[in-house]
Amino acid sequence: MMPADFTALLPYLILTGAAVAVLLAITIVRNHRLTAGLTMAGLVLAFAALPIALSAAPRAVTPLVEVDGFTIFFDGLLIAAAFAAAGFSYGYLQRRRIRREEFYLLLLTATLGACILPASVHFASLFLSLELLTVSLYGMIAYLRTELFGIEAAIKYLILASISSAFLLFGAALIYTDRGTLSLSRILLPESAAAGALHPVLMVAGLGMVLVGIGFKLAVVPFHMWIPDIYQGAPAPVSAFLATVSKGAVFAVLIRVFSLYTISSESGMYAVLVVIAAVSMFAGNWLALLQTNIKRLLAYSSIAHFGYLLVALLAAGPNSVTAAALYLAAYFVAILAAFGVIAAVSGSGGEAQELEDYRGLFWRRSWAAFVLTSAMLSLIGIPLTAGFIGKAYLLLAGLGSAVWLLAVVLIVTSAIGLYYYLRVILTMAQQPAAENRPAQPAVLDSRLGNIVLGALALGILWLGVFPAPVIEIIQRTASSVLPF
Amino acid sequence: MILFFLVLWLVPGAFLAWLAGRVRPDLSRWISLFFLAVQTIVLVVLWVENSGVAGPAPQGRWWLEASQPWIPQLGAAFHFGLDGLSLVLCLLTSLLGIFSVAASWKGIQERVGFFHFNVLWVLAALTGIFLALDLLLFYFFWELILIPLYLLIGIWGHENRSYAALKFFIFTQAGGLFLLLATVGLYLVHGNGTGVYTFDYMQLLGTAMPLQTAFWLMLGFALAFAVKLPVVPIHTWLPDAHAEAPTAGSVILAGLVLKAGAYGFLRFLIPLFPGPAHTIAPVAMALGVVGILYGALLAFAQTDLKRMIAYTSVSHMGFVLLGAFAGNAFALQGAVIIILSHGLSTGALFIMAGGLQDRLHTRNLSKMGGLWSVMPKMGGFGLFFALASLGLPGLGNFVGELLVLLGTYQVSVVAAVFATLGFIAAMVYSLWMVQRVFTGNYAGDGKVTDLDSREFVLFAVQALALIILGLYPQPVLDTVRPALANIQSDASVSFRQPASAQSSAIVLAPRDSIDTASIPFGTEGRP
Amino acid sequence: MQTPVTEIVWPLGVYAVAVLIMVTATLAISHVLGERHSGRATGEPYESGIVPTGPSGIRFSVRFYLVAMFFVLFDLEAVFIYAWAVSLREAGWAGYAEMVFFIGVLLAALAYLWRIGALDWGSIGRKSLDRRKEESRRDADDR
Repeated sequence: MMPADFTALLPYLILTGAAVAVLLAITIVRNHRLTAGLTMAGLVLAFAALPIALSAAPRAVTPLVEVDGFTIFFDGLLIAAAFAAAGFSYGYLQRRRIRREEFYLLLLTATLGACILPASVHFASLFLSLELLTVSLYGMIAYLRTELFGIEAAIKYLILASISSAFLLFGAALIYTDRGTLSLSRILLPESAAAGALHPVLMVAGLGMVLVGIGFKLAVVPFHMWIPDIYQGAPAPVSAFLATVSKGAVFAVLIRVFSLYTISSESGMYAVLVVIAAVSMFAGNWLALLQTNIKRLLAYSSIAHFGYLLVALLAAGPNSVTAAALYLAAYFVAILAAFGVIAAVSGSGGEAQELEDYRGLFWRRSWAAFVLTSAMLSLIGIPLTAGFIGKAYLLLAGLGSAVWLLAVVLIVTSAIGLYYYLRVILTMAQQPAAENRPAQPAVLDSRLGNIVLGALALGILWLGVFPAPVIEIIQRTASSVLPF
Repeated sequence: MILFFLVLWLVPGAFLAWLAGRVRPDLSRWISLFFLAVQTIVLVVLWVENSGVAGPAPQGRWWLEASQPWIPQLGAAFHFGLDGLSLVLCLLTSLLGIFSVAASWKGIQERVGFFHFNVLWVLAALTGIFLALDLLLFYFFWELILIPLYLLIGIWGHENRSYAALKFFIFTQAGGLFLLLATVGLYLVHGNGTGVYTFDYMQLLGTAMPLQTAFWLMLGFALAFAVKLPVVPIHTWLPDAHAEAPTAGSVILAGLVLKAGAYGFLRFLIPLFPGPAHTIAPVAMALGVVGILYGALLAFAQTDLKRMIAYTSVSHMGFVLLGAFAGNAFALQGAVIIILSHGLSTGALFIMAGGLQDRLHTRNLSKMGGLWSVMPKMGGFGLFFALASLGLPGLGNFVGELLVLLGTYQVSVVAAVFATLGFIAAMVYSLWMVQRVFTGNYAGDGKVTDLDSREFVLFAVQALALIILGLYPQPVLDTVRPALANIQSDASVSFRQPASAQSSAIVLAPRDSIDTASIPFGTEGRP
Repeated sequence: MQTPVTEIVWPLGVYAVAVLIMVTATLAISHVLGERHSGRATGEPYESGIVPTGPSGIRFSVRFYLVAMFFVLFDLEAVFIYAWAVSLREAGWAGYAEMVFFIGVLLAALAYLWRIGALDWGSIGRKSLDRRKEESRRDADDR
């Protein structure tokens, strides 16, 4: 190992160090505030280390991990999202009578796993980091041990994530059988084919299984069944973490795979992906129409949003990576804000999940309602919010490569999606039906949570009005290294 | 810089009004009025300075132009430009803004601060629409007006407000998404052809592309503008939204939002896609005529006062569509005059309907009648605005409709004849409305009050404006003429095409001399 | 280099067939040879005739699993240390540093487990007793 290797790995080392530090801190003195502070300090340090790591990039550290601009950008996104989720968790857990400190331990290890995913260029590192992320998530989802929904969600997630991991492993094994290598960048190259026995059946089966595994993690149709239950059952900050860090990291892997190979638009693989994208956009929006539970609604909408993101990838044009990265960033900010509000308005008795709980929120807690409104508008893609720029870029990438069908599906399904996002906003604006509902227990505002929410709302607006610097960053990091 | 000021000035006003509403409701109203008044004064000063009244008329296409980089990676900029057309529309925006704030003085008593926040927000975004010279920026403002309007209807609306708000939003946003699609399409076509990727209006003008492509892109623009205008088959959101919105919302919708659709046709669709616009002109004019007659017919059938006024808007907007696509100088100027006078007269009618509802707590025409005896002032103004709406000579609408008909006659006699029938229909429904509301026997308990001084001044100002527009429209016509001439020349420049399609390129002569029916539909551009 | 499909797939096919035969045979043979009767207690969990009492969801002590987990945690590390020991010279000081870090992390984990009372083997250990007291005190504070 050269010193430059350590420089490149610095963010990961800091995250690891933070996890150990939190562990020791809990050992010495059990204090929620201290633990949360340490965690967030660790995340901030790791974030601050990213530019340092960038100075060593691009660098392949062992055949397993490649630290380049792309990795750094996504790590930054993931760490920032984890920071926000940690911020929400503090207020959320403070209201619960449980042991709170270990949560941050799980959050740090999960973040570490997620951060290594974008850097993975080898099936071994891919699988290890994915498992590190997933195993930590089991614990996070079931963290409120007394909530039956949480336990149920955790068990469902455990089973489904294990199955998808098994698919991924089996697929990797089949590819290895065929190609004799596990390196992502070499499995499709002719020379590795020469080394092994080139065989389309094994290769196709292997790639198909890997796709199933990744599809499960991203919850695109037809692998989406688990997501509403998990979002609903998990504590709101964990849902936020799942929606952003977990899915974003896996999507980064997908971008990397796409950037390594050009998938011919005549191939069967391409056709399958087109169908997955189109059906995800349609089904996600359609099923979300039927929801009255806001967490389930967001779950279904996330299916649609990952369908949108696939459009950028399938376009495979010069703007694809920028569009995907920008859209993902916009989606992160909006969905974090949405779950943050859910976490913030949930009392100690239970979460405010039903839409009815949000009736009249504008007049009860204007601030939370304002943040949730801007999040919803951003998810729709209304100007002034981040989602608008994201969607415009997505269309640009899609039309630039003339994937007209997907672009039109994107437009039509977005129009369908309007209805349920607007319903949330209108419900908040309606008069509270005070007579027939028991008064909500007063919820103490968490100052930290409010600050994070404020930052996110500002982020939504800033990205929506002045996206140029962020696009600049994306073009300098994420898309510069990729041969799209 | 003054253009940035025009767009941004109302934004701090909106936030101040919101905050002030928490302290005292009235403060919020005064703040809104102050900001709108300053905006109006600035616009009037700009008008006087630039229209040639006080000094030489400015050279060049834009009176004022300002640009700041926005998303340089995409070639999008904060690019604003002011010409005569923009100016009169901005002026209409701020004037109707003042009227709607004044009209809601008593009617809105809940969440006053937030109400004015939304009103100022729409007005700022509308100003942005009328000034934007960058297509992405235009789309930005285009969509931006939806949220506050949605909230205005959804929070302060009448009984069926949620439904109406949702329908309004979904119709216009769905149209807007196609606008985005077409905008991005145009951007890419221009970029691929010239290597310059930009959303800039001036550069996108005259983009060379095959007619087939141009036609599809034009359809995307047309859909969005047609929803807003509205053109008849997709007008169904309008009666619901207008009827359920609070008074200020109805005034803004009818007086300004519909005009944004008309402005879109004039500023963007026709100059950007002259060929396809010419191709669909017969269809569009036919739809305009259908709108005129169908709107009038349905207006006659309504029992709800506000719905009735809403349908008259459909009818009047048919004239605008007709004028825009007839395409000669008469018709275009007429369309602009209708835009202005319809904004004033319909705005006044909506304010009247709101006033009646505040007093009688109903909008049902069959429950009114004989109101002249209890409120003669209201009756007088009601008759006046109804006459304005039916196109009485001497008032603004007449000038506009006459000009449109004159222009249309040169292009298509049939369309002009049928459109003239709209005059008769307008006479019927307007007088019928006056009859049902004001004449007959008064059946109520006599406790209704006549106009107070605030309402009186409000109506008087609008009536005066309509009279001026009707008797002496020349300053306005002089102001908009150069802008409209530019649009005309953009629409008639030879339609550049890539070399492959050169053989079938068509050259459009000035509109006045072309019989649109002689151009075969959709055959151009096929090599 | 293109090898025919059959050459690659036939071992897989043989394997699959073998699995199928194996499973079918097991079921079929026990079906054929198995004793069949339908006594009063056939459907009971214990065919010996003893009637089960009480619910099936009885509580195990969690420590039962704890032992298993400790075993996995603290025995698996031996594998890594052993591998390192074999290649001590090749790994050099960098390897040494990494191993120190690795063991350090393990020690931190051990300290944590000790602290939370996972190592107290009595029915109610002193530590866990303290802990419960502390928690109930904190709950009271929260209220």
